[in-house]
Amino acid sequence: MGQGHGHDAITVSTAALQLVRPAGARFEGLLLAAIAAVIIAGLALYVRELGRHESHEPLYEWQVSAFDTLTGADQAIYNALFTAKDDIPYIYDDINVTTPDNAVFRWPNLQDLQDYELPPFLHDRSWQQNGSLKWTLFEPLAKGEMQGSTMYLGTDGSQPAQGSFLLVVGHTHAGFQNKNAISIWWNSKNHVEMPQSGFRDGLILQGWREVVPHNGAQEVKRIFGDDAGSSTSTKEDQKQADQAIQGITGN
Amino acid sequence: MRSLLKISVLSLFAALTLASHAADAARLKVGITLHPYYSFVANIVGDRADIVPLIDADANPHGYAPQPADMIRMMSMDVLVVNGIGHDSWAFEILDAAGMRKKLKLIYANDGVSLIPVAGAATGEKVVNPHTFISTTAAIQQVYTIARKLGELDTANATFYRDNARRYALQIRKLRAEFDTKITGADLSKFRCATMHSGYDYILQELGLQVTAVIEPRHGVEPTARQLAETIDRIKAAKVNVLFAEKYFASKLSDTIRQATGVRMYSISHISSGKYTPEKFIDEMRENLNTLAAAINDSSKGGA
Repeated sequence: MGQGHGHDAITVSTAALQLVRPAGARFEGLLLAAIAAVIIAGLALYVRELGRHESHEPLYEWQVSAFDTLTGADQAIYNALFTAKDDIPYIYDDINVTTPDNAVFRWPNLQDLQDYELPPFLHDRSWQQNGSLKWTLFEPLAKGEMQGSTMYLGTDGSQPAQGSFLLVVGHTHAGFQNKNAISIWWNSKNHVEMPQSGFRDGLILQGWREVVPHNGAQEVKRIFGDDAGSSTSTKEDQKQADQAIQGITGN
Repeated sequence: MRSLLKISVLSLFAALTLASHAADAARLKVGITLHPYYSFVANIVGDRADIVPLIDADANPHGYAPQPADMIRMMSMDVLVVNGIGHDSWAFEILDAAGMRKKLKLIYANDGVSLIPVAGAATGEKVVNPHTFISTTAAIQQVYTIARKLGELDTANATFYRDNARRYALQIRKLRAEFDTKITGADLSKFRCATMHSGYDYILQELGLQVTAVIEPRHGVEPTARQLAETIDRIKAAKVNVLFAEKYFASKLSDTIRQATGVRMYSISHISSGKYTPEKFIDEMRENLNTLAAAINDSSKGGA
């Protein structure tokens, strides 16, 4: 083996080795750790948010979400009222079917609602379980500007921290914009008196909050966005169907 | 004279055939994804429309893998009724595969339902519960929505659909009255329940019954060993005496929980299996309510 070939020719003294740290080593280490932490936190947040409900419906101060705010018996009562608001106009049609056109049509009273076995008005075990709310009906005056709206008040529930409910049927003759539009209101007080009118501003001043559902239409929008497929409903479809349906409230 | 008669008879026959074809063309073909929607639509449309289930009756809609035949069935539909909020997501795969996403009209049955969060979730998060069809009130709301939307597509029968929907709603509501007679005198304060999954939240809420714990962290997802241990601790601490499990899908997990806690187990139907029939929803909900009544009466007697 000639000179210059092979390891024999090289001699290294270990004592001469010196580790030199870059001037910004500590900063780089911290930066790397911070970036990693941000990425991990971002991924964790993304995974968490994937399966989570976010209420996208903007609410006014005078509204509460049935999904996010109401719990227990109050949520159960609201959901029953939410379907009852579809049933009450049907019952109205039934009980007025023989009423002459020139007579005053009446809205269902509490006995009618019992007869139709309509929750949450029906006095059954679920009514007891949900606090046995005491329901009263405010019937508008037959004539005059101060006729008011038909209102069903449920109050004095027996469940802890239970609120009160008000279902308002807004009549056009009482100054409401939409004919027989029904709204549902909640008051955190356990006992309240029947309001003087069903107008929004007055109710808000008395501590009432309109309850807004998180319904299937909103959930579909949350899931699919604008890719929800073809809807069956255009405004024209709805108008034609309303015109086709025979009935007092349908016309 | 004879040939004139022949021509008249032939013309009449042709006119009748054309009229019959026109009626067929006007007749809606309503697709459905889940068994309850078959019953809802059948009771709404009566004999004035055809119902086309999207998947076979014996297919399990939980985690269903779409088949080519589903696309062919979908192409024959005028409209499809879907749950749309998490129980029939495979229908959207079929829509995409068949290129029907923007063509086929959809009725989202839950459009007008006030949704509730999954009860008793260990994480405390508010996750939307899609089991709106295991219920009475939420079911009625869906019947009304479907009838209204079908009436928009088929205005000639809109009144017929609405009246049928109302009649059917009254039948569903009668189930609640029947249930009430079965728990007369029962002490409901002793009833504390857990459920294997979140499928029964709507009906339990409607009846004023609270769920203390749900075993599965997500529908169809079994808990980890740690989650299970925590849930068992919660069940013991809350003195839960009833566990509701799925009738059609046996699980060893429910046996484990029963052995660890001493709860009494009852089976409830998801209404998602077997033949499609108009009576299925009411029959199976009646059975479910009978099971609930038995669980309440047993816990009232201290039988758990």
